[in-house]
Amino acid sequence: MRRRRFWAAAAALLAVAALWAWAAQALWASTDPGPAHLPHVDVSRFFSDSFLSRSASYERFLAIDGLLATLALLGVLTVYARRGHRLMRESAAGRVGTGILLGMLGFAIVWLVEVPFGLAAVWWQRDHGVSHQGYLSWLVNSFLSLGSEFLFISAALAVAMGLAGVLRRSWWAVATPIFAALALLFVFLSPYLIPDTHPLQRPRLVAAARQLEREQGLSGTRLEVEDVHRFTTAPNAEATGLGPTGTVVLWDTLLDGRFDNAELRVVLAHELGHLAHHDVLKGVGWTALFLIPATALIALLTRGRGGLARPEAVPVALLVLVALQLLATPLFNVVSRRQEAAADWAALEATHDPAADRESLRHLAIASLSDPDPPSWTSVLYGSHPTIAQRIAMANAWEERRRGNAGN
Amino acid sequence: MTSGPDFPPPADRPPIRLVLSDDLERRRLTVFFRLFMALPHLIWLALWSIAALFAVVANWIVALFQGGPVEPLHGFLARFVRYGTHVYAYLNLAAEPFPRFGGRPGYPVDLEVDPPGRQNRWTVFFRLILAIPALVLLSVLTGYQYQRSETGYTGAIGLLVVAAVLGWFFSLARGRMNRGLRDAVAWVVAYGAQVWGYLLILTDRYPTVDPETAIGPLPVRDDPVQLDPSGDDLRRSRLTVFFRLVLAVPHIVWLLLWGIAVFFAVIANWFATLFTATPPRGLHRFIAAYVRYELHVYAYLYLIGNPFPGFTGAPGSYPIELRVAERARQNRWTVFFRLILAIPAFLLNAAFGSLLGVIAIFGWFVALFTGRMPEGLRNAGAQALRYSSQTNAYLSLLTGAYPYSGPCLAPAQPPPAPAAAVAPPDAP
Repeated sequence: MRRRRFWAAAAALLAVAALWAWAAQALWASTDPGPAHLPHVDVSRFFSDSFLSRSASYERFLAIDGLLATLALLGVLTVYARRGHRLMRESAAGRVGTGILLGMLGFAIVWLVEVPFGLAAVWWQRDHGVSHQGYLSWLVNSFLSLGSEFLFISAALAVAMGLAGVLRRSWWAVATPIFAALALLFVFLSPYLIPDTHPLQRPRLVAAARQLEREQGLSGTRLEVEDVHRFTTAPNAEATGLGPTGTVVLWDTLLDGRFDNAELRVVLAHELGHLAHHDVLKGVGWTALFLIPATALIALLTRGRGGLARPEAVPVALLVLVALQLLATPLFNVVSRRQEAAADWAALEATHDPAADRESLRHLAIASLSDPDPPSWTSVLYGSHPTIAQRIAMANAWEERRRGNAGN
Repeated sequence: MTSGPDFPPPADRPPIRLVLSDDLERRRLTVFFRLFMALPHLIWLALWSIAALFAVVANWIVALFQGGPVEPLHGFLARFVRYGTHVYAYLNLAAEPFPRFGGRPGYPVDLEVDPPGRQNRWTVFFRLILAIPALVLLSVLTGYQYQRSETGYTGAIGLLVVAAVLGWFFSLARGRMNRGLRDAVAWVVAYGAQVWGYLLILTDRYPTVDPETAIGPLPVRDDPVQLDPSGDDLRRSRLTVFFRLVLAVPHIVWLLLWGIAVFFAVIANWFATLFTATPPRGLHRFIAAYVRYELHVYAYLYLIGNPFPGFTGAPGSYPIELRVAERARQNRWTVFFRLILAIPAFLLNAAFGSLLGVIAIFGWFVALFTGRMPEGLRNAGAQALRYSSQTNAYLSLLTGAYPYSGPCLAPAQPPPAPAAAVAPPDAP
């Protein structure tokens, strides 16, 4: 009987793994990142030597600072996993409430430990003119942002611990689709949760965006501007929302005169490309795929503390979750780089303007002090986008292909 | 053979104490003109304060060199503070008779000041700086501020002003001062006397806003909504104190969501109570749980309680406990006009809210460094929370009993079983 159950479980596990692999393959294949091989680009043709040296030094410091912060995070969570349950005495909230408190306190301690690294990053950014946010302002904003972080942790722990109380070991199988649904709801609502935004009010740019939208098979995309100039000089943009809430958000630092309309058109086309490729939805899909083994592992590794139904298991669950997230980050970066490359290609196809593409990338790198050709280890760990060099190479490749097509 | 006082003062007796012998009786005529009648005293107090300013500088220098004040200066300043107490008690309707101009003892709201004693020279030297938190708290209790902003006027009114204004209307209508309002005024006046006594170097005991220390034994009231803070041992976890604001965020969100449901429940309760005179059992239980939960959350947020509260408002689940009596019949007229009748309570509640905010800020710093919440701040905060819960219970028709505005205590044990369940005594 026991043997039969073992084989049944093994078969079920195999079936789930096969289904997981098929879904991952389908998601991977649904994104076409453009040419597989890109010609090498000599970045010194686009950037001065002093900029290359300055940006490399700037990014190296931030990467090392981030790495140290990550090590501190793991160290703190390891200690917390062993001793965190002692903080249960600070709760009068019952099983789930106490678990929520332990979850929040874990991240609160992490915040405390990471403050010096955050302040060092702010100092470095201010020193290089990329940020002009004050230290106190950063500290207060960072502290207050814990509130929203705590809300997410509370909701997740309430679901997981509530289910674990009823379903015991198999809570993760029900919790994963619930988390995925909550993630879907969150990304659907996310455009409305971004503070300090207003609609884009430049008629020429709006008209250009509408034309690009049509070319990429979209309609009714919201175009918003986010006020960030009080904190940073770095320009950026993002695509967020789903379906009717699909939104392109431009940072107001993009609109301060450093980028001309042709370059802004490329940026808009890139973000619209994300919406046209349903990258936000695919991101939720990848998150769901990550959650399946992650929640299963949490369920497995918290058994020593009585399972996630017990609040004393929460510190262990936090450590497992964060460690898995860190391990998965390079893989998520691979997926993200693929989607960004596809959006770049879509922008070139929509604008037919590789020169503006190269110029916008050059300006983006200069304004953000981004190393155009960083060491590969930083790309693996932190590179959510292809490097500037690779993106310029893509513009060159698109231009070559067009020339070739015209010649034929 | 040595002789000593017949009744030595208890060691924990505050060196500056309020003595209340007011009988609450008021003459409507003097109440109506109270502000104008107090003007000569206010002018005299202002003139006296000029002399007191020179006296306190002399007292400060003497205390620095001698390690304590000398009798003539101490006596003069003690009399000045006592006179100020009489004047403010009279002005704010905590007492009835027109006070004497000399600050002699014997007024119904009087002040006792211990003779001069030794004081720590360091605390004397830095007295002005050390007194700042107490002065801030006093200004919140007594003052009123408003400012013009883009969205209109915003402001805060101190407990003293609200209690005095409400007491003015009450005394005019009834010819008596309301006990709760009188005690609220006396509480603030007593705290003010302590602050001034500390500032003028009459004592080095730091002022406490604890109402029991300020005005003596508090009335024990068997109200339908009672707050019992006796489960709290004043210890605070520094970690949770530091993150208290953000740790409370999930509770605040849950409170808002639950509040939406309670809003409709209260409307339903209003209609049901209007027709049947008694709130339906289910609605009463649902709203009582919410009011209790709100108390738990605010106690946690404002550092009046220490542990992280549960999300259900279960009775007996938190050290700062709110007891809500079973539903009872209510007067239909007061049910119909409940929103209007609650307006004075809203005003007092706002004043208590300002106090609570300052308590939380000061308590945060103290608890972060010492790992304990000062008892005075905790008790004052508990009074503010109790009033808030009583106001919410009154507004949401959990009870027909009007919130008690003065500081008070809950019975040590839950109220005994209803009288009907107790066998009647034998007839004589």
